Amino acid sequence: MKGTGKGKKGRQILLLIVLGIVLIGSCTKTNEFTIGTGFMMPETRLEIVDTFRVDLSTILVDSIITSSKQIAYVGNYEDTIFGLITSRSFFDLKYDIFGEIEEKAIYDSAAFILNYTSKNIGDTLYPMSVSVHRMTEQIVPINLERILYNASTALFNTSSFNYEPEPMSTVVFLPEPNGRDTAVYLNVNAFGEELFSLIRSKDERVSSEDFFRNYVKGFVLTSGSVVNNAILGFAAGTEKLVLKIFYHINREEQEKKELVIKMGDIGRQFNKVDFDLSRTPLADIRENRNEVPAKLTGNKAFMQGMTGLYVKCKFPTVQNLMAGDGWKVLKAELVVEPEKFSYEKFPLPDSLYIYSGDKKNNMSMLRDGNNQHLKALFEFDDYLHENNRYTFDITDFILNELSDSYFDPNQSLILGLASTKQGARFQRLIVEGRRPPVKLKLYYLSY
Amino acid sequence: MRRQLTIYSLALMLMIALPGTLSSQITSSPYSIFGMGILEGNASGLSRAMGGTNIAFLTDRAINYGNPASYDGLDSLLTIFEVGIFSKYSVFQTSKEKQSLLNANFRYMAMAFRVSPWFSTSFGFTPYSSVGYNINTKAFLEGTNIEYLKSYIGKGGVNRFYVGGAFSFIKKLSLGVNASYLFGDITHIEASKAYEFSLSDITYLSNFTLNYGLNYQVDVKDWKFNIGLIYSDGKKLRTRNTTIIETKYETEILKSRKYRYSIPTTMGGGLSVRRNYFKAGIDYEWSSWEEADMSSAYYFHTRNSNRISAGFEFPSQGIRKGSVSMVMYRFGGEYRESYMVIKGVPIDYRAVSMGIGIPLKGVVSVVNTTLEFGQNGSIKRDLFRENFVTLSIDLSLRDLWFRKRQYL
Repeated sequence: MKGTGKGKKGRQILLLIVLGIVLIGSCTKTNEFTIGTGFMMPETRLEIVDTFRVDLSTILVDSIITSSKQIAYVGNYEDTIFGLITSRSFFDLKYDIFGEIEEKAIYDSAAFILNYTSKNIGDTLYPMSVSVHRMTEQIVPINLERILYNASTALFNTSSFNYEPEPMSTVVFLPEPNGRDTAVYLNVNAFGEELFSLIRSKDERVSSEDFFRNYVKGFVLTSGSVVNNAILGFAAGTEKLVLKIFYHINREEQEKKELVIKMGDIGRQFNKVDFDLSRTPLADIRENRNEVPAKLTGNKAFMQGMTGLYVKCKFPTVQNLMAGDGWKVLKAELVVEPEKFSYEKFPLPDSLYIYSGDKKNNMSMLRDGNNQHLKALFEFDDYLHENNRYTFDITDFILNELSDSYFDPNQSLILGLASTKQGARFQRLIVEGRRPPVKLKLYYLSY
Repeated sequence: MRRQLTIYSLALMLMIALPGTLSSQITSSPYSIFGMGILEGNASGLSRAMGGTNIAFLTDRAINYGNPASYDGLDSLLTIFEVGIFSKYSVFQTSKEKQSLLNANFRYMAMAFRVSPWFSTSFGFTPYSSVGYNINTKAFLEGTNIEYLKSYIGKGGVNRFYVGGAFSFIKKLSLGVNASYLFGDITHIEASKAYEFSLSDITYLSNFTLNYGLNYQVDVKDWKFNIGLIYSDGKKLRTRNTTIIETKYETEILKSRKYRYSIPTTMGGGLSVRRNYFKAGIDYEWSSWEEADMSSAYYFHTRNSNRISAGFEFPSQGIRKGSVSMVMYRFGGEYRESYMVIKGVPIDYRAVSMGIGIPLKGVVSVVNTTLEFGQNGSIKRDLFRENFVTLSIDLSLRDLWFRKRQYL
């Protein structure tokens, strides 16, 4: 009796387990259950408002730090949008214990070696002319202590130092920016020979850093008065931009040698960028306190690195949102679509960065959840080419502005390159106020 | 002795701990969105197998808290502890589709014993009503054609803790009362994962209530006829509400809303007949939900509810009959006109049930296993019908604790 009872119970339990598994397997997933939808009376509504007025303008920031960027821009380029841009690059040489050069050594030649980068603007199919001038004063970085309250120094796109008007050397060449093993040689034979003999004779002028820098001072790469069609970016790391002195020693076989003098501190290498906006829509920007509203420039606003042009957005109607209770902002996006066809010639920056600006256009970085500078990647709509855009999640900024129930109409958002790239790249962006416009999109919940 | 102590302390711990953790998240039916949700009824383990019939039954082998006068049926030497769990598989069917859910939970816990020849007592914890649903819908971002998933979630319910007693001053007549404390919370949530917001509406409810009962027995030869009556007063529940809106960035407690909940006046009567181990009964119960004051959706209203049920039990025949290994079989049926009328459609419930009570070796205890097959609701006017199977397992531990203490 007991035995059969046990067996029965065992079978029953087994049956229940099997039944349970079958039932669980056949159930609708909780997140897919929809029956009862008709009973619901929603208390919340999610809405998008993207009809806020966005006032665009172009602002010009006076000085952009261009030192320590390890790139030397040389050349000039003109178009009708950003005008004539001319770049010169300043650098000096690094002092070293140059060592022994034998008495028998015979000087051959000397040249600055310029290595290409892919950072160019304009048309590199035309011949380029690049000259090097010797400076008549040393490069002295500006102390930023008063501005930044730290001991750093920098040089700006507006900084300049005196140099000899006559170039030491000029080279005209067809650029090969994608050639890996090619470089541009700027021959400076006379200067090279002078330096060679100073080193060989262990002259006082090459005996210490101070003496050396006072003797060499520095050099400027320019495109002189020649009209080029491009600005080329050459590598300007200490090891990349060098002066090579070639010599040989006559033994049984001729022994060829070279002395490499590296570029000086990257903090003393910078690019001076001149730009003439007089024949562009932004002609009057300097007379207008460095700001031109888009409505005076064909509803467009312009951003460009190296020159200090930024796009500024103001939101004069957000304050109207304040009226009434019972809503919460869930998400705020700033959608920036570049003007159509404006980026066929100049690739757009991969990512665009956003700053907040006050009445005087003092900028400070907006930060994301990880305390990184808030940025937006460029999304390219391969299919229709209609939704090519940058989308910034500016929820934090908007909520912060709304938190005191007052949205300062002078508060603005400013679009530009990353703070470290602003003085290192010529990348540009043109946005339009209308088609497609820059949009502030608020997702909000009303209840 | 030690083993029994362990069992009782375990039972006591369960009784204290369970209500907090399980607090009646029982139903999983979209119908529970209305009012106080789905009513759990008054039937404990054993009587569930008889269609919930219990008004005229005495508490002999199992605790019957449906009628407090029934405690008078307790054997003077027995202490009964019961705990019940269940698992319910439901298929919801509209005129267009079918979806199904499985859920399992705790049902009740109770204890009963006799204190003196004229007084017996019981106390326990049972759910009164429960709310449990999770409905997903598609909503539009207004002003666009962008869809997003919105979930409506309901949880909670009303629990009941009761302490009751049955008095018998005249032979064959007993009177009883359960003092119940109703408490709980009902939460309705509207939320979207994608947009990270939720609106939670939480109402806390509580009140005391009394249920009265009467049982009178007439003996005709071997046959025992019982009549049972129950009554409880309608009452408003005290409510406190908070509404919380939560987004990824903010949490705000909104002004409280007014929600009204109440329990109805209920009365019922039952008849039962017993002979040896055979028992049969019939119940009728009526509740005045129509006048119950409740806030709800415009398309929902309450009506007076009716319940009729009938059931019987008989023992296994042959050698086991009357022995400690006697197995009990039970059958029953129930029909309820619930208090809900949705879009003009009354929500009715019908179920048949069957059960088996198997004694456990060693302890004087029984496992009651019940299967119910039923149907609830209607597919009219875009509503849905719920077809369900419920498996209940109720454990009844009976012990001669008091006697042992006395004589050992």
